[in-house]
Amino acid sequence: MDAYRLADAEAVLPRLRAGDPAAQEALYRAFETPVYSLARRICRTTEDAEDVLQETFFEAFRSIGQFRGDGSLWGWLRTVAASKALMRLRRNKYRDADELDDDIVPLRRDDAALRMDLEAALERLSETSRAVVWLHDVEGYTHEEIAAMMERTVSFSKSQLARAHARLRRWLGEEVPA
Amino acid sequence: MTHLTIEQLLATREPGLEPHVHAWREHAESCDYCRGELDRLDQRVARLKALPGLQPSRDLFGSIRTKAASERRSRQIRRIVGAGLALAASVTLVVAAFKSQRSHRRLVAADPELAEMMSQSKQLERALAGFDQDRQVVDGRTVAVTSTIEDKLARVDREIEAAELLDRTARQQAVIRLWRERVGLLDALVDVHLTGARYVGF
Repeated sequence: MDAYRLADAEAVLPRLRAGDPAAQEALYRAFETPVYSLARRICRTTEDAEDVLQETFFEAFRSIGQFRGDGSLWGWLRTVAASKALMRLRRNKYRDADELDDDIVPLRRDDAALRMDLEAALERLSETSRAVVWLHDVEGYTHEEIAAMMERTVSFSKSQLARAHARLRRWLGEEVPA
Repeated sequence: MTHLTIEQLLATREPGLEPHVHAWREHAESCDYCRGELDRLDQRVARLKALPGLQPSRDLFGSIRTKAASERRSRQIRRIVGAGLALAASVTLVVAAFKSQRSHRRLVAADPELAEMMSQSKQLERALAGFDQDRQVVDGRTVAVTSTIEDKLARVDREIEAAELLDRTARQQAVIRLWRERVGLLDALVDVHLTGARYVGF
């Protein structure tokens, strides 16, 4: 993320609290990409991700008065976005049964043409597994935090992560015989 | 030789000093295969972090601003209308105060459960006022959950006001149900502040 734009966003906090539209736009421009990326990695469709983006900023503008500034603005906004995306995931009732059958012939490591790229492999994971991988490995949430956000147990988060990595390893052709 | 499973490899990357995790870490350091697996895991995570940021297909700020402005206007209108209504209501209330007080006392006296719920409601509101003063950090999830509960509370309060227009029997039933709901919501709101917005079954 662009550090200059991030610093700007922190600076406009008092104006945001006063409901200044220019400050709201500054916040949006600074965090549009990371919020949308997070939403898109968790949600199944671009439409869902765009809805999450809108809901996140709408909620942020409405509730900015409650942000005390003890943590980072991005940390706060990211939790709002993750919450909205996971809520949408639950609402849509996507199930692991929807995911593609991953019981495929293991790809040979030297067969680069057949190897899936990371984007495609990530997309192929179930929504739940992908959400856990993204929140844990990229956004840096702990299993405890993910479990609380997903309303599941810590073990669930850990097993989803392990399952996802086992699949990614296979789909990316990274399996090495012991 | 038994190598570490993916669960065990992942556990070695987590903070923690449990003896079994320590043993897995030691194994990973001495086993070429497991060290290789761990390296591939680290590289995969690094590649995930390096994936490019994604952009929405169109600029959505306009619609967010319109919605935010519209909500702000609605709030202002509600405040103005509320003030006007309050003025009108205060005149009406002065006239109706005595009658209403008697009716309210009768309603409360007739149903101890209602009196108890009103008392609980007051206690929970006092507890919430205390949280607001003390609260230092509000995370995003708390904000989302709090907003949902507060919206529901506002709806219940409106319905309690509207119930005053019903006839005596219907009003008694409606008011009891609504006050019960109100206590439940306030209780959930207190839980949110106590638990930092972990799951609250409101």
